[in-house]
Amino acid sequence: MQEGQTRPAAKPVTPPFSPVLLLGMALRPVRPALLQPVFDAMLRVIRGRHPDILERMEPFAESVVCIDPVDLPFMILFEPHPADPRLVVRRAVDPAEVSATIRGPLETLIALAEGKVDGDALFFSRQLLIEGDTEVVVALRNAIDGAGIDLVEDLTSAMGPFARPARRVAGAALDLVAHMRANVETLRQAMIAPALKDRELQAARLSELEAEVRALRKAARGQDRRSRGMA
Amino acid sequence: MELARPELVCPAGTPAALRSAVDAGADCVYVGFRDETNARNFPGLNFSRKELEEGIAYAHERGAKVLVAINTFPRAGQPERWHQAVDDAARLGADAAILADIGLIDYAARAHPELRLHLSVQAAASNPDAIRFYADTFGVRRVVLPRVLTVQEIAALNDKIRPVETEVFVFGGLCVMAEGRCALSSYATGQSPNMNGVCSPAGHVRYVEEASGGVTSQLAGFTINRFGAGEPAGYPTLCKGRFQAAGRTSYLFEEPTSLNTLAILPDLIKAGVTAFKIEGRQRGRAYVAAVVQAFRAGVDAVMAGRALPDIDLDRITEGGRQTTGAYEKAWR
Amino acid sequence: MTPSPTSLTLGPCLFNWRPETLRDFYFRIADEADVDTVCVGEVVCSKRTPFFAPFVPEVLERLAAAGKEVVLSSLALIMSERELEQARELAAAEGWLVEANDVSVAAMMGGRPFVVGPMVNVYNEGTLAYLEDRGATRACLPAELPAEVIGLLAGSAKAEIEVQAFGRLPLAISARCYHARSRNLAKDGCQYVCAEDPDGMAVDTLDDEPFLAVNGTQTMSYHYLDLLAELGDLRRMGVHRFRLWPQDVDMVAVAALYRAVLAGGLDPAEAGGRLEALCPGAEFANGYIHGREGHLFVDADG
Repeated sequence: MQEGQTRPAAKPVTPPFSPVLLLGMALRPVRPALLQPVFDAMLRVIRGRHPDILERMEPFAESVVCIDPVDLPFMILFEPHPADPRLVVRRAVDPAEVSATIRGPLETLIALAEGKVDGDALFFSRQLLIEGDTEVVVALRNAIDGAGIDLVEDLTSAMGPFARPARRVAGAALDLVAHMRANVETLRQAMIAPALKDRELQAARLSELEAEVRALRKAARGQDRRSRGMA
Repeated sequence: MELARPELVCPAGTPAALRSAVDAGADCVYVGFRDETNARNFPGLNFSRKELEEGIAYAHERGAKVLVAINTFPRAGQPERWHQAVDDAARLGADAAILADIGLIDYAARAHPELRLHLSVQAAASNPDAIRFYADTFGVRRVVLPRVLTVQEIAALNDKIRPVETEVFVFGGLCVMAEGRCALSSYATGQSPNMNGVCSPAGHVRYVEEASGGVTSQLAGFTINRFGAGEPAGYPTLCKGRFQAAGRTSYLFEEPTSLNTLAILPDLIKAGVTAFKIEGRQRGRAYVAAVVQAFRAGVDAVMAGRALPDIDLDRITEGGRQTTGAYEKAWR
Repeated sequence: MTPSPTSLTLGPCLFNWRPETLRDFYFRIADEADVDTVCVGEVVCSKRTPFFAPFVPEVLERLAAAGKEVVLSSLALIMSERELEQARELAAAEGWLVEANDVSVAAMMGGRPFVVGPMVNVYNEGTLAYLEDRGATRACLPAELPAEVIGLLAGSAKAEIEVQAFGRLPLAISARCYHARSRNLAKDGCQYVCAEDPDGMAVDTLDDEPFLAVNGTQTMSYHYLDLLAELGDLRRMGVHRFRLWPQDVDMVAVAALYRAVLAGGLDPAEAGGRLEALCPGAEFANGYIHGREGHLFVDADG
């Protein structure tokens, strides 16, 4: 089954020029292992506060999902096995070792996890990219959406007595990111304007070539259409 | 004539979405069990028995009802799973069961005479004779109308079938075929709404990135659509794809679009519809909250004689496009 | 044990053929085709009905005179008062067997014998038993059922079970006309463009892969169903009636092939080759019966 399976060449989405991207550049020298404790804490939260995520993912226990915040220099591997779930940070991931990949800007991924945005709408608008087994991604999306996650609340609650200050810091950090967004957007427009012109020319040439290929393919198809359909 | 206040029937794929819907002003929430007994048998979605029990308690405490959709067609040789679903819905205090299969309705009517029965859209009862058949023989109280009728036809229909209630879709994904009478999905993927509770299932979906930066969406290896770089992409629902026919490439069946009837709510209320249904048990809390709030405001405005609120639902509609669908005759 | 005799039904013509063409088609079926039952009636679009109506009496008469059992098929999607009225007239027709393609028509039969058409959802024993109680004496099953389910239904049925065995499969019905839409026309002003495609309009994917076919408001399979190789197994499961959907090919010859295979006089593989020759350009499928995707062709020994 699953004859439709295709694995596109690993071609990461261009990250939006955002505050998170700047953060990502700053984090580049950091070894993923240093970030691992954050994700260990997150996994504890999932097991403790949101066990239904793992329950809903049970049919996909053996599937590994790669979550790729395109503006950060690392990826997260999620293995939803109910008895032994894992959340691992990695610098790079070979597409062959995962069932599916979700790529998008960190802020979008967080908003999705918290159920603040509609996953379908994000994909319709191409802010998220899905590769590999779409069924696993849909299951994860539904499981997370159903859990009612509040990342700031969840993570800080896991920190016990440090919770209140941590919550303030985390909340402030998200606010800061939002404030910076407007300034960064102006800068981004200025930077990419020249590149956009070139691209239009290339696009025109490309669509000419595509039309040619289609015509050839249609001709070829006509020749073997007579053959009996095969399973 | 005094207008009857329509109930707002809202989707919930998870307990969190149920709470969102109730909090946003839903009169009813409809849900399904986590298996192929309902037509949104999507991965990671739906309710365990325990979750349904808790969900019903949450809704009832806040004056809302819970309807349980058991609206696929039982597989021959194993009706027990569907019977059990009906039994459990009744036992847990669901306010109604939404059913499609004649045999299952017959079972429910006999085994649970006290359980209120609604006819699912999957039964595609599109005329008064079909509706009266279900009402007279099984005591079905409400019919969810297939998305094939115009507002005028719905008004005429209501006059003929009272006191049977009608429920119509007001927002969300739009079947362009008569529901429950479409095998396109199984033709391509082997899995269908009627037998498996899924249409164009995610397990058969692949998005293929093109070198040009565009993306091709495939269903079971069939190309359903292709999008240029930056162009909004859609889920490859079979009937919303781009195909070639009669020498043209087009959205032959339907554009990737969402039904949105906010603008014609007054007409639908005047047509005597008892309940307005929002599609999208698979769409998550953000969607549920936004749409329910919009339609709550819309219905309340119409009932209070105020102008319709201008609420933009663009960002949660498929492909950013909206239609009033079959409710206007030009759609056909 | 001698095997029960197996019957062939010629389903109603789902396409919009010219009225004279359709009349002549039925005359030839009456005179030459080795089928037991012939269904007559517009199933897809009520806008087509008036054109063939004047020819119906002579067609029915000719078929009956030739010894065929005649079945009057109803519309599948009944919405308007006019369509309901037609259905009521059909249901009241004295002396003819009626095929209900909508639940409303089954209800109108008021307990008299009728045929459950393939557009009515019979997926399990419960529904079948209920319709039998309402007078159903035969049920042509929906296209997507696998052999295993068909066997279970055939085993429990009081009614005769019929299985679709040849032709483009009816997959969906809509209020919207895709034939008109393909020409940028509305259904109200459709100009009857569906008549331009006597076998349906091919629908290809963007990659030029043949996929579906459109017949007005109906969506069909691109592939032609071919169950020649499965007839034997289905018969052993208790299916004794098969339906051939009219296509714009030599249906007398198609019926003869199915009859020959059923009679044991022709090897199914050999018959499959001849069927291809009778349907130039067609691709074939049998996936549903094997519990697979409907568009697949599964080799019988595979």
